[in-house]
Amino acid sequence: MSGTWMTTRAWLLMLPLLMVMVAVIGWPLVDTVGLSFTDAKLVGTAGNFVGIDNYTKMLSSSNFSRTLVTTTWFAVASVAIEMVIGVLAALLLNQEFRGRTFLRALMILPWALPTVVNATLWRLIYNPEYGALNGALTQLHLIDAYRSWLGEPGTALAALIIADCWKNFPLVALIALAALQAVPRDITAASLVDGAGPFARFRFVILPYLAGPLMVALVLRTIEAFKVFDIIWVMTRGGPANSTRTLSILVYQEAFSFQRAGSGASLALIVTLLVTVLALAYAALVKKTAGSAT
Amino acid sequence: MSALEIRDISKNYGAIETLKGIDIALESGEFLVLLGSSGCGKSTLLNIIAGLAEATSGEVLIGGRSVLGVHPKNRDIAMVFQSYALYPNLTVHRNIGFGLEMRKVPVAERDKAVRDAAKLLQIEPLLDRKPGQLSGGQRQRVAIGRALVRKPQVFLFDEPLSNLDAKLRLEMRTELKRLHQMLQTTVVYVTHDQIEAMTLATRIAVMRDGRIEQLGTPEEIYNYPATLYVAGFVGAPSMNMLQAVVEDGRLAIAGSDVSLPLPAGFRNAAPNGAPVIVGIRPEALRLATGTATEFPLPVEIDVVELTGPELVTTARIGNQRLTACLPPRARVAKGEPCAFTFDEDALRLFDPATGKAFETAR
Ligand SMILES: Nc1ncnc2c1ncn2[C@@H]1O[C@H](COP(=O)(O)OP(=O)(O)OP(=O)(O)O)[C@@H](O)[C@H]1O
Ligand SMILES: [Mg+2]
Repeated sequence: MSGTWMTTRAWLLMLPLLMVMVAVIGWPLVDTVGLSFTDAKLVGTAGNFVGIDNYTKMLSSSNFSRTLVTTTWFAVASVAIEMVIGVLAALLLNQEFRGRTFLRALMILPWALPTVVNATLWRLIYNPEYGALNGALTQLHLIDAYRSWLGEPGTALAALIIADCWKNFPLVALIALAALQAVPRDITAASLVDGAGPFARFRFVILPYLAGPLMVALVLRTIEAFKVFDIIWVMTRGGPANSTRTLSILVYQEAFSFQRAGSGASLALIVTLLVTVLALAYAALVKKTAGSAT
Repeated sequence: MSALEIRDISKNYGAIETLKGIDIALESGEFLVLLGSSGCGKSTLLNIIAGLAEATSGEVLIGGRSVLGVHPKNRDIAMVFQSYALYPNLTVHRNIGFGLEMRKVPVAERDKAVRDAAKLLQIEPLLDRKPGQLSGGQRQRVAIGRALVRKPQVFLFDEPLSNLDAKLRLEMRTELKRLHQMLQTTVVYVTHDQIEAMTLATRIAVMRDGRIEQLGTPEEIYNYPATLYVAGFVGAPSMNMLQAVVEDGRLAIAGSDVSLPLPAGFRNAAPNGAPVIVGIRPEALRLATGTATEFPLPVEIDVVELTGPELVTTARIGNQRLTACLPPRARVAKGEPCAFTFDEDALRLFDPATGKAFETAR
């Protein structure tokens, strides 16, 4: 009796939120699914039903496959670098030294900056006429002439990855630092007495406590990196020669630049599906890793 | 040559003096217990012996060799921690053999050492498990096993039993005693449990505020506490302490009209008119039945608690309190006057000004 009342009450209390969610997430989602089966333009008529045409066209287009490769490359490279630098930074900041607290606070700064600010900042650094990177590299005699880092297809993606790493490694470092502080002092002491060197200590003492939290960081960062839009839009708009065009940029171009709402919707849904699969795979992994140290 | 020698060790954390000149020398095979309340510096001293902390001044010698600046792994010690400190994702087998693995001991030799230790500790069936799949008592056995396989010169234990429940603690205590009797190794063992100290130790160092208050065998510590602190710390319920004054060869108990004869051994120690504290262990008191005794303590019973093996009786003598551990069938009842008595050699005298015991001619 009271059980059903409790359930009813729970639903009642959640109702307002559910209604908002249906309105802002549920309905647009259903609408997008509907849209993806039509040849609707962004403005004008509702469009005609075209079945799965949009999907087959999109999946077989060379634009899509090229963009998928670019996105994957961006996500894998930036997340890998962020993980390594993040963990190294955390290990350093976990040592005892003067000014440690100050450095810890300082480290968060890039992450705390809005992406647009960060992106603008890096555009200045990469500027082909007066950028700091060009300045530094010429003074070190590593390059002879100023280069347009964001203007050359060969370097633009790498330049973006560096900018993204600079912004996002603090998150990984922060999570890793918190995990490091959970490593029991006694186990560290025991490993010293047992004669474990730095590598054995990292492997057998620290990693078990780091693995779970790092997995969470990995999931968060990969999904975010896979959906990346803002930093690229501000810095290169997907150029030059589409060399930095990621899936989200492609969705935007399709739906808004080319005004093909129907095919844009189908692409957006494909991206959503990809990210969902990623998330589910990771969730399974996290479940396996979590509690490895307990 | 001593197995372990601690010479004038001091340790400061900033302005805080944690250890203030500790001196101990241990013969091979001794079981030293560092006993003291929380924060008195026991773990700090143990960590200094292990090389996990650095002394501000003083010297540690292990096997006659100064270990100043020697890395923990090269000190020929093994340590067991309160939290067990097992490596969470290694099997029991690898946990026990970890020290040997790090020292590149060949696999076959290592395996044999691990199995021998596991057999000794009766954890052979657990060798393939991870620490997370073990009970607290089993984990502690693994931690002890990890120390055993190394066959070090000195074993260091930091409150190894305090995370176990009462019954298991008792079992492991006996187990440790058995191991020590069998292996005859040198042990330094930290605890704040005085029963553990009494049962395990060949010698006890009672610590207080970074100093050693008394260093002696369990019998010495229990029967001849050197200070009021030791007297109060060791023994449960703790020693009765009655304020008294020496008057014409007798001890006049303050706040009452009772006086006791001053035992002969103390005649020269406590001058006439001196205030003293009379210490008598609760277990030394018994009911004075009928016949007159030399040391009668007329009291009025306050509280009677049956613990099972004994009747813990709290009584008043004048305005002071007195606890006695009587046999469970002793005929006492709340509010009733009766008299306790004790043997002459159970009486201790302390100087209230210094807290030190008056020496007897024992
Ligand atoms: N790293 C440190 N920095 C500053 N003070 C410390 C440090 N380690 C210990 N102390 C101080 O030194 C004193 C002794 O600590 P220690 O851990 O040796 O006590 P203990 O006798 O082992 O107590 P417990 O029974 O609670 O374990 C405490 O007052 C503690 O606050
Ligand atoms: Mg301690």
